[in-house]
Amino acid sequence: MEPLSLLIIGVVIVLFVLLLLHPRKGLLNFFKKSKRDSTRVLIEDSLKHIYDCEYNKSASDINSIAGNLNISTDKAAKVISKLEDMGLVDVKSNKVSLSESGRSYALRIIRIHRLWERYLADRTSVGETEWHSSAEEAEHILTDDQANELAAQIGNPVIDPHGDPIPTSKGEIKEKRGIPLSKLSVGELGRIVHIEDEPQSVYSQIVASGIHSGMQVRMTEVSKNKIKFITEGEEIILSPLIASNLTVLPEQKSDEISENTPTLIFLKPGEEAVVVGISKACRGQQRRRLMDLGIVKGTKIKYVMESAGKDPVAYEVRGAIVALRKAQAAQIFISGKGLSNV
Amino acid sequence: MKGNAIMSNKEYIIKDADDLRWELGENFHDHIIESVYNEAGAIAAKVIIQKEESKKFHFDQWLDRLVTSRLTGFPIMFLLLAIVFWITIEGSNIPSGLLASLLVDTIHPELKLLAQNIGMPVWINGLLIDGAYLAMAWVIAVMLPPMAIFFPLFTLLEDFGYLPRVAFNMDNLYRRVGAHGKQALTMSMGFGCNAAGVIATRIIDSPRERLIAIITNNFSLCNGRWPTQILIATIFIGGAVPAHLAGVVSAGAVVGIALLGVLFSLVVSWGLSNTVLKGEASAFSLELPPYRPPRILQTLYTSLIDRTIFVLWRAIIFAIPAGLVIWLVSNVDIGEYSIAEHFINWSNPFALLFGLNGIILLAYIIAIPANEIVIPTILMLTVTTVNIVGVGSGAGVMFELDSTADTAEILFSGGWSALTGISLMLFSLLHNPCSTTLYTIYKETHSWKWTVVSAFLPIAIGLVVCFFVTQIWLLVA
Amino acid sequence: MSNIQNCETCPIHNVDNLTKLGINMEGIDYVIALTGNPNTGKSTVFNNLTGLRQHTGNWPGKTVTRAEGAYRYNNTKYKVVDLPGTYSLLSTSTDEEIARDFILFGKPDVTVIVVDATRLERNLNLVLQVLEITERAVLCLNLIDEAERHNIEIDHRTLSRELGIPVVPAAARQKQGMDELLKMIHEVASGKYVCKPYRMKTISKKVSKAVENVMQKILSEYPSLPNARWVAMRLLEGDQSIIDAVKTGELGKIYSVSKTQPQHVA
Repeated sequence: MEPLSLLIIGVVIVLFVLLLLHPRKGLLNFFKKSKRDSTRVLIEDSLKHIYDCEYNKSASDINSIAGNLNISTDKAAKVISKLEDMGLVDVKSNKVSLSESGRSYALRIIRIHRLWERYLADRTSVGETEWHSSAEEAEHILTDDQANELAAQIGNPVIDPHGDPIPTSKGEIKEKRGIPLSKLSVGELGRIVHIEDEPQSVYSQIVASGIHSGMQVRMTEVSKNKIKFITEGEEIILSPLIASNLTVLPEQKSDEISENTPTLIFLKPGEEAVVVGISKACRGQQRRRLMDLGIVKGTKIKYVMESAGKDPVAYEVRGAIVALRKAQAAQIFISGKGLSNV
Repeated sequence: MKGNAIMSNKEYIIKDADDLRWELGENFHDHIIESVYNEAGAIAAKVIIQKEESKKFHFDQWLDRLVTSRLTGFPIMFLLLAIVFWITIEGSNIPSGLLASLLVDTIHPELKLLAQNIGMPVWINGLLIDGAYLAMAWVIAVMLPPMAIFFPLFTLLEDFGYLPRVAFNMDNLYRRVGAHGKQALTMSMGFGCNAAGVIATRIIDSPRERLIAIITNNFSLCNGRWPTQILIATIFIGGAVPAHLAGVVSAGAVVGIALLGVLFSLVVSWGLSNTVLKGEASAFSLELPPYRPPRILQTLYTSLIDRTIFVLWRAIIFAIPAGLVIWLVSNVDIGEYSIAEHFINWSNPFALLFGLNGIILLAYIIAIPANEIVIPTILMLTVTTVNIVGVGSGAGVMFELDSTADTAEILFSGGWSALTGISLMLFSLLHNPCSTTLYTIYKETHSWKWTVVSAFLPIAIGLVVCFFVTQIWLLVA
Repeated sequence: MSNIQNCETCPIHNVDNLTKLGINMEGIDYVIALTGNPNTGKSTVFNNLTGLRQHTGNWPGKTVTRAEGAYRYNNTKYKVVDLPGTYSLLSTSTDEEIARDFILFGKPDVTVIVVDATRLERNLNLVLQVLEITERAVLCLNLIDEAERHNIEIDHRTLSRELGIPVVPAAARQKQGMDELLKMIHEVASGKYVCKPYRMKTISKKVSKAVENVMQKILSEYPSLPNARWVAMRLLEGDQSIIDAVKTGELGKIYSVSKTQPQHVA
């Protein structure tokens, strides 16, 4: 055959294979998704929803379940009756509440969900906005043993990356704590202990403004239309709707990262500074690695050289030369006399 | 629950600790490490006396600036790589010839004579001496000299402290494709042996980036493939230029293939981190160790003993059974033709689409256990099927080739063109990892899925690349 | 540096007392753990002692698994375990787990901490952590020749006084200081040298209460535990192997054995 016609056939075959195997939109994936067992997922999701309502001291009924799971009320009714048959819920005058075994089942699912989110946050580089959806899948797949193994591997965490308690393997869970961010008065300090990750659109706005669990905030303005506060040296303005998804624990003592604290990327060749803190955006293993290398509060740090690719920059830290990507340097707060125009 | 009722004192300790952890929040680790470093700093202040900075220190700094500067960093890297290959190519030609004439020209006929004298049956004689022994002899002659030169040179760079600087310079590229900067280090180890490179990925903390590094490690040419690259580049690319330039140009071609491998590892990393292994580039913190003066004699000794002999031994272990298989497939006839000829004739039209031929495909199937024996197998099969008169001593016999020119003659008479050479070089870079590497990948990932991906992804890429290169070449030429 | 060279020529510290046994592990008297930051020359020290050839090179992270070897010194047989290099023992990664668990549960008779003399301050982080766990350690101040090349002087006597353990300046690549290291390992292992390991004095106020609290509870359950504070810190980090050891009582067993040994000797 002619090279030209062969080339065309080749291109067509390659395109076809790509279409078939594309991980998200591919036909193979589509086929796999449609085969997934959906009743179990519905049961587990509704248990989780009922549990959430009880935890937040509100009631759940057929409508809230249908709304939360995005299914019709008919289907929700079927799910509820199935749950009742299985002895997982009690239904009294339209109010659905969890039975003892239903609660432990729900806590098991929540444990896996939050463990998985912690795992993603600490050990992987999966983006924050994808934690929840990935955990939504993992919670229906992982077995208890796998969950316990995962927990042991990541240091049996007690807090998930949104600040919520992770139930123990015995099904115990801590009470929620803190007050809504908007209840903090001007001038008061608080630490973010919970970030609500649903709805997704609100959560991605929180992520985009650079807010992370564990950050200290100082309130500067509370009004009907906006909430203004300072965290990690930066002023953030949120609408009350978005701020209502944040919970803080009031605090007395201030972290030393004041307004306009420079980060390591402002350091120039040959300059030296002192580390005053690491942003909460840097978490899990990445944070530990930085600290293991000696980058902690009070460490002197000096710009040594830039790499040929411009990005990682090498710094002198406690007598050693350590290369850091700029994204990390931007998470390290510094202070020092030697700094020129910051 | 039953557990609660009879909770022991010991279990209470754990429970209390867990309660405290919830109250402490997420900063516990930070506080502990800060405390440790505070005290470490205080002790260090008492015992370290830094006198004025030495000349050596300034030299180290100067060298660091030179090898990491934007202007000189990458050129120095390519130059070092090219020099290492050039020395390897130029230096291994003569000892290779000497080894071949010793093991093949001298010892092989002696063995045949001995076998005849003790009345060994012809088929055992053929299987053992023409199959197993010659395969082994060939592997030693072809592989020992380049390895004995390449490994010590590479080890010298490793010992000196240059590899972390390579990772430092390359990190920007790896960050952009969503991979880890230490992948440059594991890739460098892969230039020695892919299985070693896969094990070295343990230095990468994040599982996603580690998996990317494992899957793409095969794109660094391992020592088993260097001889193929060097030989084919010498014949088809070095042969196309004036003799005094041949060494430099061949070295350049091999560097080109090696860099193409790096490019593929970047592209595939990018592809993976945007599809199945989605995620953001994670942190990169790498300590750049001080340079240490290389100990030349010690390096020569240890890299010869540990790496060269180790790798050679592995190659011999795999070459012996492969030699038996080669002899068998070319000597056992079904109908009119041998098994080898059947396969070659059957697969030839398919192989030609990719610029290869049936012999190369068969050689790659026989050589799955070890890449090292690809070239010997190709040569032997070419002689058998093309029925070249005057070389070798019968079907399935791997024979003496004391110069590259002889090899070239055989390949040309087997119908090879420059396109076949280039396709072979590409396919040698882009095909499945050897069985040892695959086994290592399975051990490291505990996943069949990723082992299968690591095996078939490079083949698929290799076939696609060879196909398009071939067809475009044919279209243009 | 000069005293090392003198040592090599003086007849008392003769390296002839050393027999490298490779992987022959029969009839071991003492177990030695080698730990240290990545790229400090642990594997070179290991190779010098055992005659084995672990891969060495100048980049962090070469040793990814545990290697074992043996040697005989003054008619005593030692098993040496080369642990993966780690910056810390407080995180949760595989290599740190291997190192931490071996130092705690592997009951080494002596833990040799190999540090890079040119980067001592950073290395001390790990040293202090190891000294929280173990009572018997020797510090190998490696790459002392490189430190000299960079005009860095280390007052190793003060360092030894501060840390409460023997400090041996060495240049393992040149095989210098190995005889002194062998001698100090022997003295610590046999109980001739009694270590008084440095324990951290100030733990950040914000967490010291919690650590103290857990530590007291552990001590009431395991009264003879020499490193209760370390165990408390690990529990507060959710370390599974420590949780298991506390629960099953294994923790008590480890230290009842090593506690009684010196008493028998006395």
